[in-house]
Amino acid sequence: MYGGGNIFEPTKLEELNAEDPIKLAAFEARILQGEKIEPNDWMPQMYRKQLIRMIEQHAHSEIIGALPEGTWITRAPGFRRKMAQMAKVQDEVGHGQLLYSAAETLGKTREEMINDLINGKSKYSNIFNYPAFTWADSAIISWLVDAGAIVNQMANAKGSYGPYSRALDRICAEESFHLKYGHDSVVHLATGSPKQRQMVQEAITRWWPPLMHFFGPSDKISAHTEILMRWKVKMASNDDMRQQFLDMYVPKIWELGMVLPDPLLCKNEETGKWDYTEPDWEEFKRVINGDGPCNKERLAVRKMAEENGAWVRRALQKPEAKYVTPLA
Amino acid sequence: MQALKDLLYKMADDLLILGHRNSEWTGIGPLLEEDIAFSSMAQDKLGQSLALYQLLTNLGESDPDTLAFSRTATLFHNCTLVELPIGEYDFSLARHFLFDHSELLRYEMLSNSSYEPLALVAGKFHGEIRYHTLHANTWVKQLGNATEESISRMQAAFDFAFPYALAIFEPSKFENELIAEGIFEGEEKLKEKWIASVSAVLNQTAIKMPDLSKIQSLSGGRYGIHTEHLQPLLDEMSEVVAIDPAAEW
Amino acid sequence: MSHLVSLDPRISRLGIPAEIDLNSDKTLSDQLSTFEVFHQKKEGAVYQHVGPVHANTPDLAFLFAKEQYSRRFTCTGIWVVPTSSISVTPNAEPGVNIYSILNFDHKFEEGTPVLFTVFHQKKRGAHHECMGEVTAASSDEALYHASLKYGESGPVVNVWIIPSEKITKSSAEDVEFWNTLSEKKYRDASVWRVMDKITKFKEEQKSGN
Repeated sequence: MYGGGNIFEPTKLEELNAEDPIKLAAFEARILQGEKIEPNDWMPQMYRKQLIRMIEQHAHSEIIGALPEGTWITRAPGFRRKMAQMAKVQDEVGHGQLLYSAAETLGKTREEMINDLINGKSKYSNIFNYPAFTWADSAIISWLVDAGAIVNQMANAKGSYGPYSRALDRICAEESFHLKYGHDSVVHLATGSPKQRQMVQEAITRWWPPLMHFFGPSDKISAHTEILMRWKVKMASNDDMRQQFLDMYVPKIWELGMVLPDPLLCKNEETGKWDYTEPDWEEFKRVINGDGPCNKERLAVRKMAEENGAWVRRALQKPEAKYVTPLA
Repeated sequence: MQALKDLLYKMADDLLILGHRNSEWTGIGPLLEEDIAFSSMAQDKLGQSLALYQLLTNLGESDPDTLAFSRTATLFHNCTLVELPIGEYDFSLARHFLFDHSELLRYEMLSNSSYEPLALVAGKFHGEIRYHTLHANTWVKQLGNATEESISRMQAAFDFAFPYALAIFEPSKFENELIAEGIFEGEEKLKEKWIASVSAVLNQTAIKMPDLSKIQSLSGGRYGIHTEHLQPLLDEMSEVVAIDPAAEW
Repeated sequence: MSHLVSLDPRISRLGIPAEIDLNSDKTLSDQLSTFEVFHQKKEGAVYQHVGPVHANTPDLAFLFAKEQYSRRFTCTGIWVVPTSSISVTPNAEPGVNIYSILNFDHKFEEGTPVLFTVFHQKKRGAHHECMGEVTAASSDEALYHASLKYGESGPVVNVWIIPSEKITKSSAEDVEFWNTLSEKKYRDASVWRVMDKITKFKEEQKSGN
């Protein structure tokens, strides 16, 4: 799982002027034809930079994303849920590994990326800065946050960079169980006892605003990313993905008798799109820049994990082992 | 029957509690790849415990979820080693090494059990547990030879863990019956094999095995005498179930 | 010094200081160097590249590769190779065979001939796949022999040449590691079935329960 809401830097087109125009044209033609770009192909600096940033954010989201659901591993009710919860959170760590590896092929080491995560320089999906108060919160995350992630991942799997694309194919194959498991967990609660129904209703009320933030700021206030779309780095607009998510999942939420805390939310018969109350993008900015309920804890846990494991990694050092950029 | 159930309960309880403890490392391990590996092994342990609880259910005991999520500590038959907190990675690895060697040997002995369902389960999981032991051996050999720091940490971890580990082999009330009926060749024999097996690996490191004849094993777990850690562990494990025990989760 | 109290009880038990300095300064190789992993889906299938693992020795790399790259579906074999042992050709343009644009007009290094394993990437986006082995005294010469042996076997954008002795392979008896893989249904999408519950719920709602 992961999240959308990528923070792309506004692209400075002047940077492209420094690139060899013939190579740039060939590069763009390759992408237009649907060819993938592989690690040792020529690529403009901007492509490399933006891709590293995007894949890295995705990787960090997986690692940090393991923490809210990790909250409920030891308390998952029953054998099946217990094992599945472990497998799901494990997958998130595994997906983080796959994504760091993909980003590494572009020349940034895993150490640098982890440093930037802990230092706060690199971002991760904002949704993980919120707390998983109850088991029902974990179930909602497993279902709807993963659902959002899948919308994003399936779009990005068709992107131009080979290693990222291959990693996403693998991730999508492993994720199919996450969504089913999450949906199943929520359904059990929503169709269960009064206590369970109340727990899950309260959870979805809590998680709806972050879910509306999930795909990032609305297109009209987002950074201009036309060139990234031309280069198939960004594959779909934030609003398009949000609409897709709403279309797929709001009916499923309503059919369970759950209420969403947005009186304006409904599918507009004329436009065919979902109308909703515009999310609070100031809140989004505030939280992603460090002022959310769990930001400090998430990074503190990550830092502690690194520190506690330092003696292990020190013991494994082999000075003669040569680090080279992973290949694919 | 009692003898068989006694054996199954202690095996299943060991694996449930150890799997639960090891799952605490998911997301906070010392290296991403190791985090992933340790979590797989925890899932494997839970899967194995589930298979053993199912054998008990077939023998007339309650269903696995009930057995796992609603007994109190005094009714559990796990050895105390597995209920101890995860500590740092040195302890968790030492525990993993000591327990998994005993599990591999126990399963190998049980694959010849006269109680066929158990022999089948033991055979089925051989591949998993062989991987687990390979993993433990690789780590112990690396850390047990690498730096002064890793060697001294692992030495301290093993010194702490050995007395608890010896209690894995606390004899059952039904040892003679189990042996006589060919269900299991007994803890004594298992312990002998285990000592040879763990020594063979530790002798390849700078870690010194304690003189086992001089250690007092910290037993009691097999018959409900546990440390102060087990009940809180069980309370945590069943916290959500307890919200509404009659509900389906 | 107060400790961080989390909603996650296992995190609370870690004793993380409540006010922790969030600066990080990991050095290169704190995460170790990498090994490339190759995976065989089933008996007789071709070994395919799947990705790297960070590890310090082949045996640790093998253990990690097994869990990272064969947690699902089926697997009958895993190979690991230090990334630094792999020789890589440039990439050819689509439709062009990379061998046709490589230059073999020079004297190869002399030495004892050894085995090299050859991998082809058929097109951009695809995984590298094992073609087989050639014997040569250097990777350069191995590439030449690969062009003779595998050059006409179809499109190829990129070639990897690996000294065979650098490849750590799972053994025949290791196949039992994957014995129970197909039984781990709890992480299989197909076993989580919700339709019955949803349908029943909807019916109850309709009849005013």
